[in-house]
Amino acid sequence: MSKPTNKKLPPARKKKAPSTYERFHWAQRISHVFLLTSFSLLGITGLPQKYPLAAWAQGMVRFFGGIETTRLIHHISATVLMLLSIYHILDIGYKIFVRRVRLTMLPGIKDAIDAWQSLTYNLGLRKTRPQMGRYTFEEKMEYWALVWGTVIMGLTGFMMWNPIAATRLLPGEIIPAAKAAHGGEALLAVAAIVVWHMYSVHIKKFNKSMFTGKLTEAEMLHEHPLELADIKAGIADRPVDPKTLRKRQIVYWPIAGVLAAAMLVGVYGFVGAERTATVPVRENEGPVYLPQTPTPTPSAGTNLAWDGAVGPLFQSTCGVCHGASSPSGLSFETYADAMRGGNDGQVILPFDSAGSPLIILQASGTHFVSLTADQFALVQAWIDAGAPEK
Amino acid sequence: MQKNTTPLFLRKIRVALIVVGLVFLLIALIGIVQPALAAPVSSGTAMSPQSTACLTCHNKTNFNRTLPSGEILSLTIDADHFDSSVHRNIDCTDCHTGITSFPHPKLIAQNLSDVSAQFSTSCQTCHADQYDKTTDSVHQAAHDAGNTSTPLCTDCHNPHTQTQITDDTGSLLAAARTEVPEKCAKCHSGIYDQYQTSVHGSALLGEGNVDVPTCINCHGVHNIQDPTTNNFRLNSPELCSNCHTDPQIMDKYGISTNVLSSYVADFHGTTVIFDQQTPEEAVNKPVCYDCHGVHDIQSVDDPEYGLEMKQNLLTTCQKCHPGASANFPDAWMNHYIPSPEHYPIVYYVQLFYKFFIPGVLGPMVIYVLSDIVRRLIERRKGAKHA
Repeated sequence: MSKPTNKKLPPARKKKAPSTYERFHWAQRISHVFLLTSFSLLGITGLPQKYPLAAWAQGMVRFFGGIETTRLIHHISATVLMLLSIYHILDIGYKIFVRRVRLTMLPGIKDAIDAWQSLTYNLGLRKTRPQMGRYTFEEKMEYWALVWGTVIMGLTGFMMWNPIAATRLLPGEIIPAAKAAHGGEALLAVAAIVVWHMYSVHIKKFNKSMFTGKLTEAEMLHEHPLELADIKAGIADRPVDPKTLRKRQIVYWPIAGVLAAAMLVGVYGFVGAERTATVPVRENEGPVYLPQTPTPTPSAGTNLAWDGAVGPLFQSTCGVCHGASSPSGLSFETYADAMRGGNDGQVILPFDSAGSPLIILQASGTHFVSLTADQFALVQAWIDAGAPEK
Repeated sequence: MQKNTTPLFLRKIRVALIVVGLVFLLIALIGIVQPALAAPVSSGTAMSPQSTACLTCHNKTNFNRTLPSGEILSLTIDADHFDSSVHRNIDCTDCHTGITSFPHPKLIAQNLSDVSAQFSTSCQTCHADQYDKTTDSVHQAAHDAGNTSTPLCTDCHNPHTQTQITDDTGSLLAAARTEVPEKCAKCHSGIYDQYQTSVHGSALLGEGNVDVPTCINCHGVHNIQDPTTNNFRLNSPELCSNCHTDPQIMDKYGISTNVLSSYVADFHGTTVIFDQQTPEEAVNKPVCYDCHGVHDIQSVDDPEYGLEMKQNLLTTCQKCHPGASANFPDAWMNHYIPSPEHYPIVYYVQLFYKFFIPGVLGPMVIYVLSDIVRRLIERRKGAKHA
């Protein structure tokens, strides 16, 4: 608790006992709104990301508009929390160094004793509750857990938000380690808020002081009797005379300004500096349609002779029907067979394609099998060249 | 009664002529029918007489026609192959419905594609399921957009020689598996070349290994979908997991089955799982094949390309993280579950929270419960407030 001061105190003001006592200044109440908003958003956008396969997580992310939007909300809330933390640090600094208030939030042995005594009272082993000051052990527990949690979440969050920058100085394994710590701390923080904070200020008794800023005399008596006693004794406040205040402010503001600037630059770097990932250029695998070139059948070329291109042409195209047992007597199995002709005589007249019955029949287009234009031209040219064998 | 006036000798001659006529008739009938019975193929065939008749001409080798496009259409049907095919009991005219007489109606086709197209609906008669699926495929979509190189049924399945593909349970026979990439290679030869050298392809084509995927395992077979869509990419981790989380397959090769769970637990995988909610949207988070390759997958301990080598992993990371330093790849735990041997910092952080969370919450819960109980007791005793 506070040490008795040697300074000359102003005369204790004699006034009627106020019906309410100021618990939280309006600046603290606004800070708390920012805190609860950002913390809640961080929790509900963060926890689903820890359990991506769970249906409830999928539902929540879908509700937020997809994973990228969820992350954006998380990042914005984190930035708000960081800015809030910077404000809080400067505010506390002012209170400690300029106004020199009593450090009522610092934990001590008395808080451990208070906790133990509260428990034993609840268990019926003690007759009375312990008497506590401005901040009970529950509230100190809450505050310092918040400080610890925010530091951990901020550091690990930074590493995950800026993994390339983080791994320039630290080993790469720090990133999944940060993820593990971030997730573990998130679970602890949310659970602690639900179990500890919600019970203390909502369920046990709805405590409106964080919103109205005030506590009644009865509430003070029950929950912070030692502080009430200090207030009534006039030693709770430590007003500073204006001249001293001015002197301290002149020292404080520039330092605070520099610190603030440095921390804001830090937040900016946190948020904006690293572009972690690009959209990759997909590797070109080559054309999708790339047909295999079929092994070309050995081409006899346009060798104008039976032994060149012409014989195989006749054999494959005509030989199926015009073979040894052909009813028409015309066979194309060998050169001799082809030149001999069939029952109706020769079909190939060397040097005379126009007069060759084969050409005439093919040209009429009425034969069961027609040569293509190229094949027809080849045969014509061959006959006109004298239908050579070789 | 009039007496029969025909003399006996004429009656005998009449009977003899009738008998001789019948004998000649019998001989004539045998003579006509016998050639038809003489099948040009071996006896004991499963083929119908109708098919056998067609094959008298079509069994001949080098039976070709040249189409106007210059392509050669082979009309040779090897009778032995056909007799061993799954269609051996089917008549030729069941599919070639227009050919009912000889000489055949003229074949009007510019190129081989035309020929295939003319018969493509024959398959539908019996294989309606598969045919309907093909109308859903990326090949069909390309065809509808004007692409003339897309495959039809007969481009992958030669109906005259196709042997049984599946066994009694409906799964692919081992011999059929090896043929699959070779069929796709007809048009996708570039991809086939890559696949051949990959860890999957070399096992299939080199050893006949049935544990590795063929083209159709990943791409589907009749209703092949476009693999370049975002939807395909987002669902691909589950595709790889079909085999890679199955210990029955993976234990044979000493491959971890933790690969999916470790991927999902990591930032990339978590995001992809959520991104599956909007399957049409593009994402820049990697899926399995972004790091491991798709047709050119190598084993992670491959001496040249393996991702176990730090430099290879760094190059892979830098595809999306151009500023990454040499420390960066260690942020990826390589599909390991953290343990004292692998990624001990992560392991000990996790261990710490395993104790820290219940260690803090436990006392909190105890205190809160005791407080509730005490205040309820006080309330009952008549206290006006908590």
